[in-house]
Amino acid sequence: MSAPVCDPDHILCAWGLTRDFGGVQALRGVDLHVARGSITGLIGPNGSGKTTLFQVISGLDRGATGAVTFDRESILGWRPSQIYRRGLARTFQLSRVFPELTVLENIVVAGSRHDRSVTERALGLLERVNLRDYAAVLGKNLSYGQQKLVEFLRVLMSDPALILLDEPAAGVNPTLRQTLWDMVRHLNGLGATFLVIEHNMEVIADLCSEVYVLSEGEIIAHGDFAAIRNDERVLEAYFGKSRRHGAA
Amino acid sequence: MNNYRIGLWIGVALVALASLAPLGLNDYQQSFLLQVFLVIALAQAWNLISGMTGYVSFGHAAFFGVGAYASALLLTWGFPWWLAVLKSAGIAALLAVPLGFLTLRLRGPYFAIAMLGLNEVGRIVATLWVSVTHGGTGLTLSPELLPSLDVKYFTMFGLALGATLLVAWIHRSRFGLELRAIREDEEAAEMVGVNTTLNKVIAFVLSALIPGAVGAVYVMYTSYINPSSAFEHARNIEMIVVVLFGGSGTVWGPIIGAGTVMVLREMLWAQFPAAHLAALGVLLLVVVLYLPGGLVSILRDRQRSRPDARSGESP
Repeated sequence: MSAPVCDPDHILCAWGLTRDFGGVQALRGVDLHVARGSITGLIGPNGSGKTTLFQVISGLDRGATGAVTFDRESILGWRPSQIYRRGLARTFQLSRVFPELTVLENIVVAGSRHDRSVTERALGLLERVNLRDYAAVLGKNLSYGQQKLVEFLRVLMSDPALILLDEPAAGVNPTLRQTLWDMVRHLNGLGATFLVIEHNMEVIADLCSEVYVLSEGEIIAHGDFAAIRNDERVLEAYFGKSRRHGAA
Repeated sequence: MNNYRIGLWIGVALVALASLAPLGLNDYQQSFLLQVFLVIALAQAWNLISGMTGYVSFGHAAFFGVGAYASALLLTWGFPWWLAVLKSAGIAALLAVPLGFLTLRLRGPYFAIAMLGLNEVGRIVATLWVSVTHGGTGLTLSPELLPSLDVKYFTMFGLALGATLLVAWIHRSRFGLELRAIREDEEAAEMVGVNTTLNKVIAFVLSALIPGAVGAVYVMYTSYINPSSAFEHARNIEMIVVVLFGGSGTVWGPIIGAGTVMVLREMLWAQFPAAHLAALGVLLLVVVLYLPGGLVSILRDRQRSRPDARSGESP
């Protein structure tokens, strides 16, 4: 079945994404459209299916039905490495640096095999976040925040058009967090698109032009932050009916 | 002088010594060295797939057995010894292509058990395919078909050296970096563009090619092969023990491990003929418990603790 046509203004489109785990529906017909050059937020309570959605889009979970197009090309069922080389990269919720590889190796491995300046590029990225001196340190010997930052630098090696960030600032100290968000803004200014899972609503409000809200596997609202913050379904998903009624 | 240059010079010295050794050694000593080379080559092959990618194989002796039988048959059919070695290596490698695609879908203990099963399948096929293998009776090669001890010695030496150089090259290459990333976290490696399936299968095929060639020379050395000696489970254990002893995933680990284990085994066997394997087992336990990175990790840790070690740039 061919995927529906995605608007050229959107870099990523998903239609009717459904993922079933032995009767438990983690995703229920999710429709998502990420505008080219935007920073789009994806929020929702714990267990709402946000990471599952990332797993499906990035190709690590190939058991979903529906359709996904990236840059107008159907990618559902592709291997993660194919999707990455096509220009869609992601980070993980919990840091997944390669513990027994050095920081430099961690980043170089994500670069192109044909790029002769891959080491220089990796060192340049480390320089930008003041981790140049850690190039020869093993990944496992970094602090958790540094590991998350290295994981973020790693995905930049392919110059991706779209980057999925899964709670990139979780467990990261305020200084490194600021460095991270500054880089996101800078790269976005250069044309990169971001889809970000984040629990900090201030960050979402500050960064994202559009926000999708996922609850129990369904998109229950989307729009700009001002619109979704007062959406009844969103308040209900986050605080429950009794809280809403009590507050009213 | 950095570690790479020191290693290079030690390697050159060892190669020179091994090349000159036949001039001053008796047949027993030369045979002992030949067996050390055999173990080094097999350990490097195991190191290539299991040390570098983390896919622990308990059945690489299967490729050794295939190479040994292929060589014995080819020699019987009149092929020259060197062509028998090349063809046997090729047959083992070809066999590894479909097996790699099938078994490398499995992970952890499932892959290990699948490989163990492969070795058993090899042994059973060799036992039951009597018309070709002569079953349990085995194949005996007449001496006129076989090269001299010197030729076998240098061929086995060449295989050990070739396997080591191959592992050294891979270790420093982009391919090796990708294999190590697979070992660390296969999903994350795939997610940064590493074609994990293709890389694993290439490593698996290379790691089958070496035992295929080693088995081919081994059968020339013993001039006899039967299912038990071709698909001997102890050989699988030996590969693993040697690599763990020396240091898994490293270039020098299998060499240091093979040298140490073979010398210790010979000494313990002379002193405690009834209990030498038990003594070796205890020694291995001590190394695994207190030196999980193997003997080579002592040197590596010393290098890493140097103050200038943090500023290195080469991946």
